[in-house]
Amino acid sequence: MPLLPRIALGDTTAVDECLDRYGALVWSLASRLSPTNADAEDAVQEIFIHLWRNASRYRDDMGEEVTFVSTIARRKLIDRLRKFRRDQAHQSPDELDRVEVGNPGLSAIDHSDDSRRAVACLEKLRENERQAIELSVYHGLPQSRIAEQTGTPLGTVKTLIRRGLVQLRNCMKIGSRLHAEGGVSV
Amino acid sequence: MSDGTRQNLDRWEDLHVARLLFGLSPEEQVEYEALARTMPAETGDEFERLIAKIDVAWADSKALPPHLRESIRAKAIAEIMQARQNTSPLSDISRPPSRQMNLLPWAIAAACLVVSFVTLTANRNPPVVPQDFAEMRANLLSSAKDLIELKWADGPTPVAGAEGDIVWSHALQQGYMRFHGLTVNVPTTEQYQLWIFDKNQSEKTPVDGGVFDITSTGDVIVPIHSKLHVANAYLFAVTIEKPGGVVVSSRDRLPLLAAVK
Repeated sequence: MPLLPRIALGDTTAVDECLDRYGALVWSLASRLSPTNADAEDAVQEIFIHLWRNASRYRDDMGEEVTFVSTIARRKLIDRLRKFRRDQAHQSPDELDRVEVGNPGLSAIDHSDDSRRAVACLEKLRENERQAIELSVYHGLPQSRIAEQTGTPLGTVKTLIRRGLVQLRNCMKIGSRLHAEGGVSV
Repeated sequence: MSDGTRQNLDRWEDLHVARLLFGLSPEEQVEYEALARTMPAETGDEFERLIAKIDVAWADSKALPPHLRESIRAKAIAEIMQARQNTSPLSDISRPPSRQMNLLPWAIAAACLVVSFVTLTANRNPPVVPQDFAEMRANLLSSAKDLIELKWADGPTPVAGAEGDIVWSHALQQGYMRFHGLTVNVPTTEQYQLWIFDKNQSEKTPVDGGVFDITSTGDVIVPIHSKLHVANAYLFAVTIEKPGGVVVSSRDRLPLLAAVK
């Protein structure tokens, strides 16, 4: 059951449930996409406050609530990261106190159809496409750093990410259709 | 699809993906917006949803740090209570500052939904249990291990009979003020503003602790909304300012003070 409509109604008991359900997701994203641990904590607070204030905007027909929360979180984090990078233009990302992150695996906090399909579709990508998406989406590295790290020209990195996402989108659509028709899900 | 259209689509997709993953420079943003006008809106939404789904799939399971969770929880409940008060002019508790008008659409929407909800489902759903600032204050008192508790003292321009106290936790960055006998203000003319003097900040630039209204000379509880992190507070001061508050106070009207011993 979605929780944001309850928060929009002023149900304070839904706050704890919301933090239980989405706290780890938002914290995980903030930890990966924030320059410092302190910044990650500030970002998480900002994201949740934004969610409370915009809880009434979520509707069932917009898709899974977890996707809505994740979208809001990423938007806020990218905004903050962009501002940070602008302010720290003289400083290379290597010098930043990055929060240590490992490699992505299937989330232990959500096993929705969408997330399972996403992981299955990621497995179908070419190695270099998957790597480019992993470095950009999971590790939050800028394109120039990905190019540097993988020894790939910048233009190619952009193409790999875009092409990978287009293929993922197509794969997810097919999987979704098969699932809806009762067939085998990708 | 013509070569030109194909190139435009490729370029727009590059920019759109970059926007979602890295953010755009001002120049790229202009180019993106120009191209976006010629692209189907749903294409952009699809990429955003897709990336959100990957984020969910790859999210770690590490829970929020307890202090962070508690801080967010308290702020959430304060937000919800404030929104409720916007729709409840008879409340005894202080009304939120008028400069937070961005909450108004939310509050109106919430009020409409409450009416619909109660009307449609009164016999099928359990009642929503509200928490008020008194309860939240009590929770803070029982949970904060570093609580500062101070009585208000007269400032340079005291209000006769005004009294109360203030509680604050540095670890949780939360606090509440209680007032009794403080003059009711007219929000369109003037508002109260809290200032927090931090040992890590110059005395000239105390931290803004939030603008608030006093709606009753009876007991009023006001949550503290510190605009910056407070590391080591040594003095709290309430001033009277123009509606919406000020960035730097002249301190001409300062009815209440609370100093950390």
